[in-house]
Amino acid sequence: MTASFIRSDDFAAFVTALIEAGPVYGPVAKRSRFAFERLETPEELRLDYDVTILPPKKLFFPPAQDLVTFDGAGFRAALEPTEKVLLGVHFYDVKAIDQTDLLFSERNYDINYMAHRETTTIVASNIQTVSKRAFFASVGADVEPQGHDAFLTAINGGYVLETRTERGEALLAFGAFQPATEAQIAEAAAVNVAALERCPEELEHGTEAIADKVRAAFQDEELWTTLAADCFSCGTCNTVCPTCYCFDVQDTWNVDQTSGQRTRFWDGCLTEDFAKCSLGEGACENFREERAARFRHRLMRKATYLNEKLGGPACVGCGRCSAGCTADIADPARVINQIMAS
Amino acid sequence: MSKPKVAFFDFTCCEGCQIEFTNYGDAAFLELLNHVDVVEFREAMSEKTTEPIDIAFVEGSFSREADRARLESIRERAAIVIAYGQCSASGGINALKNHQSDYKQFVYGADAEQPQLDSQKAQPISAAIKVDYSAYGCPVNKYEVLQIVAHLLHGKEPVIPNYPVCVECKRRETVCRYDEADHCLGMVARAGCAAPCPAYGVPCEACRGFVDHPNVPALEKVLVERAGFSQKRAADKALMFNANDLEALS
Repeated sequence: MTASFIRSDDFAAFVTALIEAGPVYGPVAKRSRFAFERLETPEELRLDYDVTILPPKKLFFPPAQDLVTFDGAGFRAALEPTEKVLLGVHFYDVKAIDQTDLLFSERNYDINYMAHRETTTIVASNIQTVSKRAFFASVGADVEPQGHDAFLTAINGGYVLETRTERGEALLAFGAFQPATEAQIAEAAAVNVAALERCPEELEHGTEAIADKVRAAFQDEELWTTLAADCFSCGTCNTVCPTCYCFDVQDTWNVDQTSGQRTRFWDGCLTEDFAKCSLGEGACENFREERAARFRHRLMRKATYLNEKLGGPACVGCGRCSAGCTADIADPARVINQIMAS
Repeated sequence: MSKPKVAFFDFTCCEGCQIEFTNYGDAAFLELLNHVDVVEFREAMSEKTTEPIDIAFVEGSFSREADRARLESIRERAAIVIAYGQCSASGGINALKNHQSDYKQFVYGADAEQPQLDSQKAQPISAAIKVDYSAYGCPVNKYEVLQIVAHLLHGKEPVIPNYPVCVECKRRETVCRYDEADHCLGMVARAGCAAPCPAYGVPCEACRGFVDHPNVPALEKVLVERAGFSQKRAADKALMFNANDLEALS
């Protein structure tokens, strides 16, 4: 594919043209934080964001998603995917989307995720501001981001847009792009390498060594009880995670008691009732009743259990869980480094 | 099949949760009446009943021994008893008086010794009778109440969250109060309200009570370390709606 350059002065017109052609989602300011929202004007777009509260996963796998509506006579799919552009995704979130793409398609092809995914053109962008708890440079460092159609990098005087797919190539028609020079391409590469060197946190060991030692710590009850002592089981670490993909499905009736909807909601293995199962005849059992068991389970999922399937850890180092945990105990880099040092 | 008979009763409370039941708007409220037969509801009708009831919504806390017989009579007549609102579910705001002794003089002055003002500890109605389900909140979330009714009408178990408000804040991408140098009780508070308060920049006060197993020591620690509370203020912060639960946990 190609590498093109657009001047800073022409960039707003490019975004405006995209917005006029169809829905465009990108990072916008939300009070003191950022969130992916539908853009109304190019001025809202904040490519200098550090990290969004929720990952872009929410566009394909919304926090609450109607799957089916029913009316007593029958039911029909609620799915209504629309073509859209998702602009400004940092590479760690692209890596997370690669994981959810696999997990939602490998066995049961999850149409409610994949239909939204397949109608989205993803434009990744370079990290201008590194968030205060990021460790994306040292986690799964050999895993390359795949699922994006183009990569946008801010350089002096403008942006380099490197296209990866035909969908990405089609974006060039919306702006005053010209072929990028060798020097501009080299500058973009240097900008992206420099971002990796600005992470405030890092994993001190490689993926395989971590996977082995974290798994070996499974039986260390004292370790997990201590780590989870201040855990609220609030599920924030799950809910903000770009690679978490568990959900719960509930039916709700409308007031006519005949029509209604079946909805799936994000669920999280840290919450108390996540592992509560029916044993039939009104009996139930919770197979991760203790906070420590739930805390351990999450770390195992992120550092070991899924590595073989995903080709790397189920963590991309975005730091959302670390920053979102009010008790500040969820930070995977700190927990893993502590286990590795023990 | 005849419509299930529904009745409302109130004990120590402001009856605001019952008022919530009239706030669905005409169309939804009248549609609901096609599916349930309201046989006693003093906020909206004069009739009363001594007949068997399918669903009894009981608002208010149990704070007078003299109320026990009436609660028992409701229980005997009702197939399903729902503790309706936080006063009924946990003692709610009324339980703030449980650790005070001068409230009667303070509130009623010279009239304090009138016999009808005599009361004991404010407790959940479950201290007197068996409760099948609770509709939490001060006031209840009327949309959750509609779903509780719908589930019961369809012979299903009502789905009542046992996860904290943080889950609902994150689902709607609300900026955390702690990220704005504020405090919040969302980490221990039972969800089900869709977290409106933090979305408007107001801390959660846990008006739906605690989740089943709140980490209260961690809450105090976070209130001290991240919100700058004194130890005393941190320990008392959740009292407003949770005095009975805090006492039981201490």
